[in-house]
Amino acid sequence: MSALTFTLKVDIAQRVDCSPLTPDKLAGKSVDDIAAMELVSGRLSLPVAELFDISGNDVNNIQFKNSSSKLDHIGHAMSQGTVTVMGDVGAYLGQFMTGGNIAVHGNSFIYSGCEMKGGQIKINGNAGDFVGAARSGYKNGMTGGTIIITGNSGQRTGDHMRRGMILIEGNAGDYCGARMVSGTIAVIGDVGRHLGYGMKRGTLLLTKTPAHGISANFNDCGAHTLSFLPLMFTAFKKLDSVFAKLEPFSRVQRYAGDVGGLGMGEILVNLEG
Amino acid sequence: MIINGVTIDETFAEAFPMKGTRIIITAQNLDWAMNSAVAFTGFATSVIACGCEASIEQTLDPSETPDGRPGVACLIFAMGGKGLAKQVETRAGQCVLTAPTTALFSGIEGDEGKEIALGKNLRYFGDGFQISKMIDGKRYWRIPVMDGEFLTQENTGVVSAVGGGNFLILAESQPQALAACEAAIKAMKKIPNVIMPFPGGVVRSGSKVGSKYKALMASTNDAFCPTLKGQTKTECSPEVESVMEIVIDGLTKEDIDKAMRVGIQAACDLGADNGIRRISAGNYGGKLGPFHFHLREIMA
Repeated sequence: MSALTFTLKVDIAQRVDCSPLTPDKLAGKSVDDIAAMELVSGRLSLPVAELFDISGNDVNNIQFKNSSSKLDHIGHAMSQGTVTVMGDVGAYLGQFMTGGNIAVHGNSFIYSGCEMKGGQIKINGNAGDFVGAARSGYKNGMTGGTIIITGNSGQRTGDHMRRGMILIEGNAGDYCGARMVSGTIAVIGDVGRHLGYGMKRGTLLLTKTPAHGISANFNDCGAHTLSFLPLMFTAFKKLDSVFAKLEPFSRVQRYAGDVGGLGMGEILVNLEG
Repeated sequence: MIINGVTIDETFAEAFPMKGTRIIITAQNLDWAMNSAVAFTGFATSVIACGCEASIEQTLDPSETPDGRPGVACLIFAMGGKGLAKQVETRAGQCVLTAPTTALFSGIEGDEGKEIALGKNLRYFGDGFQISKMIDGKRYWRIPVMDGEFLTQENTGVVSAVGGGNFLILAESQPQALAACEAAIKAMKKIPNVIMPFPGGVVRSGSKVGSKYKALMASTNDAFCPTLKGQTKTECSPEVESVMEIVIDGLTKEDIDKAMRVGIQAACDLGADNGIRRISAGNYGGKLGPFHFHLREIMA
């Protein structure tokens, strides 16, 4: 069996909801069935075959080729299997996913990993705003799983994040970890302004001192050697990421906040680098 | 069967099912991990009055522990999962949480994923400042304490285990019996998945099931008490002046088999020339437990 491959063959005018094209939802369907499925695009419903050339037949291994930033909801609520995207993806990549793997070889638009519960998303490029966040009006962002971004992430990364891990190999935009309830965000590069704004609990792990400083809403708890960090770095080693090769450190400056919220969150800044 | 002049009795040891777990205590150095482990496994020789049986299984190199620090693995056994959970929690709270620089981890996967609390309830000591961390699918608690943070895994696995494997060493004198026990324990400590929970691994007050006193469920094993040779139906021949027992708890029957084999062999290596006369076992006529360790089969 070869990967079920959707190659975008038209220059789409409207955004396309690709949520039906997941391993879970295509299980048991023939290629003809899949070709006849309809995808919502603007006010229209278009057959899959009208948008994509289809090849292969392994629904547990789905590929999107010649992808576009207008393809939304890729990997929506998937629980298993693999989705690989060659090119950019639109909004809500991996929303509600509970398992499986998504790999994007391009950039993602907003709300990647929005409210995901498990599995892994790796974006080999830059991610837009609200990575791992909650939808507007919702209180819980991602509650499990791992998101790896090899490039930069946009603003409000991990907004309302509740559990899970976001690893950013590049830079994170403004309001990183804003309103975070729990979980871990680690950043190798720089972070933007308003780090941890409204953070309740959770950990922001930084390899270097933030260029814009730490907000006055975070209190300095001093330098410490924290014993959970070696475990975390050991877990990183299993990942296909720069984090796996990062020199482990456990000596950090600890800042607790945001005191405007619960004040139980923490920013940990590497002191060994 | 005679090995090096030592008679191996045609009998079997009886053992019973228990629930067990392995915990790993790490610390800044092995001394402090050991201080904590010794306390954790203290007063845990027999379920008869201690509520559990526990001992140090082995020391661990930094490369073998979850946090890369020196550590000690302890095995702890109880008659049921509930009793085990209570013992693990109170001992962890009083003997590991309290010990400087320590961290506490599970060292075993439970049968069918069955788990009991390790640090799950200790977290409340953090008075709201405790922090949960999910790392690699396992939950840990970071509890702020005066020396920094106490890191503990939330749960540990529970497995079905075997308790009460044993053998008796009958010797011509007390020093000779003790020397044979020391040799046996030294060899048995190299076997993984077993502990010998009595002080130094040796027990001199072996018991039989029942008593003339209704309140007692066990009493002295008079058949092996040398001073009663003329008073009771004795198992001690005229030349036997001292009997000592080694009790073994293990994760499986096979682990206990292995430990008994090397222990009995070590005792027999001293041989009749050193006053070791017989190897026997605590046989209670099938009243004690379903696991039977036939000495001659083990040594065959």
